[in-house]
Amino acid sequence: MKQKIREFIFNELIFVAEPENFSDDDDLLEAGLDSMGIMRLIMHMEEQFNITLPDSEIDPDNVKSFNALEQWILQHKT
Amino acid sequence: MKSSTEGIIQILNPSDCFTLAMDEEIRQENMPGSQCGFALELAGAPEIKAIQERINEFSERFPLVFASLQQRGKRFFWCQREHQHPLFYQHNTADTVNEDDFHKQTVLQLLNHRQARETIPPIEFHLIQSANKNTFLMRWIHPFCDAKGADLILKYLCTDDAKQRLRFDVPKLEPLVNLQLAKYKWWQKVLLFIKAKRHITQLDTLQSIIHADTSKAPERLNVNTYTLSTEQTQAINKLTRQQVGLTGTSLYYIGCFMRALHKMNPEQPGDAYCTPYAFNLRRNKALSPLLSNHVAPLFAQAPKSILHDRAALFQHLKQQNAKTIREKLDYAFLPIMLAASWLSLEMHGEKLRTSMRTGTERSSFWFSDIGNVDLSNTSFFATDITKIYHLCQISSPPALAFLSCQFNQQLTLSYNFIEPLFTEEWIEALHQNVLEELLMA
Repeated sequence: MKQKIREFIFNELIFVAEPENFSDDDDLLEAGLDSMGIMRLIMHMEEQFNITLPDSEIDPDNVKSFNALEQWILQHKT
Repeated sequence: MKSSTEGIIQILNPSDCFTLAMDEEIRQENMPGSQCGFALELAGAPEIKAIQERINEFSERFPLVFASLQQRGKRFFWCQREHQHPLFYQHNTADTVNEDDFHKQTVLQLLNHRQARETIPPIEFHLIQSANKNTFLMRWIHPFCDAKGADLILKYLCTDDAKQRLRFDVPKLEPLVNLQLAKYKWWQKVLLFIKAKRHITQLDTLQSIIHADTSKAPERLNVNTYTLSTEQTQAINKLTRQQVGLTGTSLYYIGCFMRALHKMNPEQPGDAYCTPYAFNLRRNKALSPLLSNHVAPLFAQAPKSILHDRAALFQHLKQQNAKTIREKLDYAFLPIMLAASWLSLEMHGEKLRTSMRTGTERSSFWFSDIGNVDLSNTSFFATDITKIYHLCQISSPPALAFLSCQFNQQLTLSYNFIEPLFTEEWIEALHQNVLEELLMA
C-alpha cells in the first residue's frame, strides 16, 4: 500500500531528489505537499483503495508522512 | 509574416498558446500585452556587479531570453534575433522626498511599456534605486514562462552556490502539457475534450458578475499592494485551516474576494462570480521545467445566491474543486488547449473569454496564489528581501486581478487593475472588504 502511495506522490505531486532516502516518517508537508496536492492524493487513495475519507479527518496528523497515511487508510479499510 | 523555418528555436506549446491568445486579447484593447512582473523590495543596495554576472550566467544557460516571438504560417515560434539585447537595466533618482512614488511609477511604467510582440524581450531585469529604497523587478511576457517558472528564475538568481544552480532545469523535459497528453489514446482525448466542453457549458449557464466600468476604454495598468503583518497572516492561516481545511487555501482567498466584491455593490448585474486559476502540471519543489508554460486553466464559480452565507460558499467552492479533481476535469482542459492552439489568436481568445450562452465575459476577475515563496535564503546579493509581490496585465473586462503570496510569514495581496475601468479609491475600499473577510472568525 505504502509503495503505491509513494509512487503516486513522487510521480505526480512532489519532487524529491532522492526518493529512496525519503523515509516513511519524513514530513511530506515540508517536502512540498500542498493543499491542492492533498486534495489530489485523497481522491487518488479513495479510488485506489475503494474507501471514503471524511472531510473532518483531513488533518496534518493524517497526511504528514507515509506511515500516517497508511494508518489513516487502514482505519477505513474494513 | 515569414514562411520559412529559418531561425526557429522552438514552437510554442499548447499552454504557451493559451497565454499568447490572452496577450493578443490585451493588445487588441490597445494595451501592452500579457506582461507580468515579480518585484522584490530590498532592505539595502544589492551588489550590482554580482547581479549582472548572475544574469549573464543565466542568459548563457537559457539563451531563449534573447529570442523573438514570431508567427510562421499558422503557428508561433521562438526565433533567433540578429542581435542580443541588454537584459539588466538600472533606474535611479536623487529625489529623497517622493521615493515610494518613484519606485511605484517606475514599476508601472515598465509593466505598461508597449512594444511589438516580435521585438519585445521575453524577459528583463530592472533595479530601481533611490537613497533609501531598492526594488528589483523581473518583467516577462507570459508566453515565455508561467508564474511558477518566474518563481524558479528568481530562485536561480538568489541561489549563491554555483553547484546548486546547475540543478535548475535538470532533467530537461518536454512541455508537461505534451507529456500528459501523450499518456492518452486518441479516443480518451476526445472524451476528455467533450467532458471539458460540457463543464464550460455548465459554467456558462450563469452570467458572470463584472464590476469594471466597461463604458470606458482601458488606458493603463495600476497596482495596489498590501503586506499584512505577521500576526494578521498567522490569524488568516489559522482561519483558513478552520474554515476550509487543509485542502482549500486558495479557495479561502477566492471565497473572501468574491464576498468582498459582492459587498462593493450587491446589485451588480449577473448571476455568479467566476474566476479562472491555474492548474500547475509541475510537481511541487521541482526545479524543471523552468521556461515555457506548464499550466491549464480551471474555474471557480459561485452563484450570487449563496454569497451571503460564508460557510455555504466555502462548502460550495470545496465541493466544486473536489468534483474537478475527482472527474479529472483538470486534465480535461489539456485536449482543449491542444485543439485551440491551431485556432487563430482571435478565435482562441474568444473561446477562452466569452460565455457560449450570453456572449459576455466569463471571468469576474483573475486569480493567482503563488503560496509560500520559498527561496533558499531571504537575501538578495548581500541585502535582505523585505517584500515580494507580483503583477500582471489583464484583459478588460474583467480588468481586475487578485494575486497573493506569502514571504517571511507575511501575506502580500496585490490588486492589479486597469484604469479608468477601476480607480485607486475603489480598490482601496475593496481591500478593506477583503481584509475584513479574510480575518472574519
